[in-house]
Amino acid sequence: MAFPLPRGITPPEISFLAEMEMVTILPRQRLEGLELLGGPVEPLLPPRRASLPLWLALLLKRQRRANILPPPWLHPESLELILEIETKDDDYQHVFSPPPPLPGQPTPRDRRPPTIRSQYTPSGEKYHPAPPFLPENTTRDHIPPGEPPALPFHWLEVGTMLLEAASDDLVEPDQTRRLLKELREVRMAKIRSGVDVLDAAAMGGGGVALTGVGAMELGEGRRFIAGVVDGLRRIGASKEQARREEMAEGMANGGYDGTQDYEDDEMEF
Amino acid sequence: MSYYDIDAILTDSQKLPCTFELEVPGLGILEGNPGENIKAGTRIDLPLWLGEMLSIGARLGTSRLVTLDLPSALSERVMNALKADPRTVELRSLAPHFYSLSERILELFEEEEMVEVLSNTFKKRSAAIADHAHNPQGALGQGADFLRGLDETERQLFRVAHDSAKETRIWAGEAKKK
Repeated sequence: MAFPLPRGITPPEISFLAEMEMVTILPRQRLEGLELLGGPVEPLLPPRRASLPLWLALLLKRQRRANILPPPWLHPESLELILEIETKDDDYQHVFSPPPPLPGQPTPRDRRPPTIRSQYTPSGEKYHPAPPFLPENTTRDHIPPGEPPALPFHWLEVGTMLLEAASDDLVEPDQTRRLLKELREVRMAKIRSGVDVLDAAAMGGGGVALTGVGAMELGEGRRFIAGVVDGLRRIGASKEQARREEMAEGMANGGYDGTQDYEDDEMEF
Repeated sequence: MSYYDIDAILTDSQKLPCTFELEVPGLGILEGNPGENIKAGTRIDLPLWLGEMLSIGARLGTSRLVTLDLPSALSERVMNALKADPRTVELRSLAPHFYSLSERILELFEEEEMVEVLSNTFKKRSAAIADHAHNPQGALGQGADFLRGLDETERQLFRVAHDSAKETRIWAGEAKKK
């Protein structure tokens, strides 16, 4: 209460984190490889594409040393399609359009699980990367047919920053800007109307799926959602208390005959 | 709820109708008659913290001093109105700390149905609050009547929703700073 800063993470901080996303650029000048804290940067040789962190790509773009290739989802056609899914599709009236598939996760059309390319930590342990550590904003040479465009975790931040700094590299920037704004409004309305399911999160053992929600949207909705859940929890606290007592009573009564062992696990939770 | 939370302190001072079960000597000051005794069966509105303390004897097994009633803000009439349409009820005129008060009351009374009604009310109203908070006109639009009827908890909710929407708009360059 006494801490003056609001809880959570502010929009500038979120977009700062989004600057770690890798994007594809087309360099215009040579640059030797850099050894940065975030990992080595490959040397830039003009005709070859390269993947750089967004902050470095924006820096080179401002100095006119490179062109940024827009990620496949930041294209009027892809955005139009996603907007259609968000607004017209009956299955997605109250849910968000699906996020890009994780490595190893089959795409909706293609049931056969794709091969997983495991990565290794410096100490040699195997791990599977997940967002935000996946290259979701780089251009790919070939997109598997049937894979629908999907909004990555940092879609709003990357989209806004690219529109601001590299609008001449995008396809139809004005159209893209309009579509991004519409998408954002549609999805914010979904977050607001999602309050109805939040009491599941307030009661014990419940949860609310936030699959496909972007970082900036989470940041914007976090304080409100947390406030609603907390309010519901406080109103339902007496009921929850009664439920727990009942459960403890049931445990005490049934604990002797050993038929209700499963309740023990529940209590621990 | 922390010790220094001003809202918790103000919740504590909201009035609760109490009936005295015993005659108490010298407590007439509560009724406005200093020096007199207070008779058994007298109904007085006492602050929540005092009523809670006086009625707590019942739990310890001794004879209770007062019995508590539901405050008018949580009466049957209000519950029916909330069941009918949560958005039209002015919670603030019922009790400035409506939800904090009901939270404390629900600890004292077993009211299963009231929990349902209040959770539903809170949900419906928060959805409306979020809509108003994201409206760029803020509290000046046509929703002013609804916003005037918000209790303290809901006002805080409105504030955080409005602030985060505003911060995001500033970041996106749609709004000017301050």
